[in-house]
Amino acid sequence: MAGPARLLSTGELTRSKGRFGAVVAALALIVFLVLVLGALADGLFYGATGAVRSSNATAYAFSDDAEGSLIRSRLDESDVAAFAAAPGVEAAGPIGVLLTGGEGPSGEVDLAVFGLDVGGPGTPTTLVEGRLPDPGETGVAAVDTRLEDEGVTLGSQVSVGEVSVEVVGFVSDTAYQLQPTVWTSVADWRAMRDAVRPELRGQPTSINAVALVTESGASLADIAAAKPGTTVLTADEVGLAIPGVAQQKSTLNSIIYTTVAVATLVVALFFALLVLEKRELFAALKALGTSTGALGRAVFVQAIVATVLGIVLGTIVARLFGLIIPSTVPTLFRTDTLIQIAIFTLVAGVIGAAFSLRRIARIDPATAIGGTL
Amino acid sequence: MNDPVVDATSSTPDGPGPSPSQDAAGHPGALLRVENVSKVYGSGHTAVTALDDATMSVDQGEFVALLGPSGSGKTTLISIIGGLLSASSGSVHIGNVDVTTLGGKERTKFRAERVGFVFQSANLVPFLTARENLLYVATLVKTPKKAASQRADQLLEELGLAGRAKNLPEQLSGGERQRVAIGRALMNDPDLVLVDEPTAALDTALGRQVVQLLRREIKDRGKTGIMVTHDLRMVEYTDRVFEILDGHLTHVESPSALGH
Ligand SMILES: Nc1ncnc2c1ncn2[C@@H]1O[C@H](COP(=O)(O)OP(=O)(O)OP(=O)(O)O)[C@@H](O)[C@H]1O
Ligand SMILES: [Mg+2]
Repeated sequence: MAGPARLLSTGELTRSKGRFGAVVAALALIVFLVLVLGALADGLFYGATGAVRSSNATAYAFSDDAEGSLIRSRLDESDVAAFAAAPGVEAAGPIGVLLTGGEGPSGEVDLAVFGLDVGGPGTPTTLVEGRLPDPGETGVAAVDTRLEDEGVTLGSQVSVGEVSVEVVGFVSDTAYQLQPTVWTSVADWRAMRDAVRPELRGQPTSINAVALVTESGASLADIAAAKPGTTVLTADEVGLAIPGVAQQKSTLNSIIYTTVAVATLVVALFFALLVLEKRELFAALKALGTSTGALGRAVFVQAIVATVLGIVLGTIVARLFGLIIPSTVPTLFRTDTLIQIAIFTLVAGVIGAAFSLRRIARIDPATAIGGTL
Repeated sequence: MNDPVVDATSSTPDGPGPSPSQDAAGHPGALLRVENVSKVYGSGHTAVTALDDATMSVDQGEFVALLGPSGSGKTTLISIIGGLLSASSGSVHIGNVDVTTLGGKERTKFRAERVGFVFQSANLVPFLTARENLLYVATLVKTPKKAASQRADQLLEELGLAGRAKNLPEQLSGGERQRVAIGRALMNDPDLVLVDEPTAALDTALGRQVVQLLRREIKDRGKTGIMVTHDLRMVEYTDRVFEILDGHLTHVESPSALGH
């Protein structure tokens, strides 16, 4: 862009730094807030759903009363065969889940123990170090990388009750309900479960759910029909069914949308005031032969520059803030969330500036002359 | 600086003359022809006739005054001439363009290319330097950068502002600001320069200086200028005077005739 709009926008941006600084600061504050909220939302969501998102299973079968919760569901090992034979199912495998406190090399840790046929359905796909337990191997586990913070290394022992397993590998992004996971055999899982939940000892073949790898386009209802009293949900649905996840997501999203709306308002008000204050000047510039379009473009350029600066500044501050947040607060700064928020804010800035357009269009160049009108 | 009145006699082809026939519509060779222009503001019983059947013509190279008391219709007339306001009836020709028939966009372009304005309060862009204020209007007609720079520097030099080129308007005196506004009006080499009460915000001595400068710039470039004023003392720098009273364009006199 060349011409009058550039001269006007850059002239004002460089010589009225104070007032543009104010709107940039306001926008930066908004972006900072939104990013931190977004990081919190992502931290909660990804921390709660990692075990499901990072697994190779495309769907899970639950008992009807479980409402999609792995913990609440009760099935039996014998059900696995029924699902494996169902139409559209490529593979099925048992899943046992235990949320519990355990012991690591440097003390107590919260754990989510997953018992499964490692390598079969439900196995994490995010191995970053070491190996997964071999099929049928017991006494070993792959664990979530979050346990590295608890002093766990390859070869460490992690125990629940009197039952311990040796860590042979690390998988990333597999937390479940914000607790680091331990991926081990059904037998080890059941031993741990029996150690902390003695009342379940009489159920030697019970599992929680069945992980499924389905063909694309398979009917989940048909699969569920293979075993009466069960429900089959996609992995995504299971993620959202984890207690609190859907609610947190929608609450934080509405806070984010509200904040972006505030950004629109801030930009709209700022430029409304700026245009109001410059009515006389704009009338004179129109009298000199400046089109409404050129004046509008100048305002848009200023809005975009101010918004981009606000986004950059807000992002820097948010990332610095991320460094000092205690690690117990689940935050996750994701690039795709950042891009999304940046685009939202930019659109908010442009929409905000657009409100001034009508006002600019209505300025009558005839009022420039005569002085008194 | 030359005595402006003497200067006027020597450089105006027609010379200042009180002949009423001179402003007859259709006068051949006239740069500006205003024919039977009326302007009514509002409608019904609140209608105000600001201009009633005004007819005038100004030759290329003339610098004329439009004199009249407050509310007489001066601003209305030059706003119509400059394409800022549409007339209720009548026509305004600048060269061979009928300004009254131009559409909104064409008028904007016409003003940028062919009319220079000097407003009562200079109305410079406050966040652009004196030089940038001149360059700004050059961007409206897409003047090449280099040519625009040269012209801006030349105008600033002529207006005695070479040393103030990089100053913002707030760092300039009222007279300097008005001189920048004159430079801005001349920047795009317009046919017609319209000036509304350029000295209203200045004291008499400074006002005279500004009007003298304005006259010199207009004359040196062979431009045509119309200056609105209600200050009889500024009239002596012009070639001819149009008087307006209650919307009637009444008298056409030479500045010297007004004194008596
Ligand atoms: N927008 C408008 N609406 C209604 N009436 C108007 C409008 N503009 C001007 N008028 C009226 O038209 C008449 C002429 O106004 P104009 O501004 O042309 O006078 P002027 O000679 O420039 O006066 P001044 O020396 O005070 O600037 C006045 O009676 C004024 O009240
Ligand atoms: Mg006026």
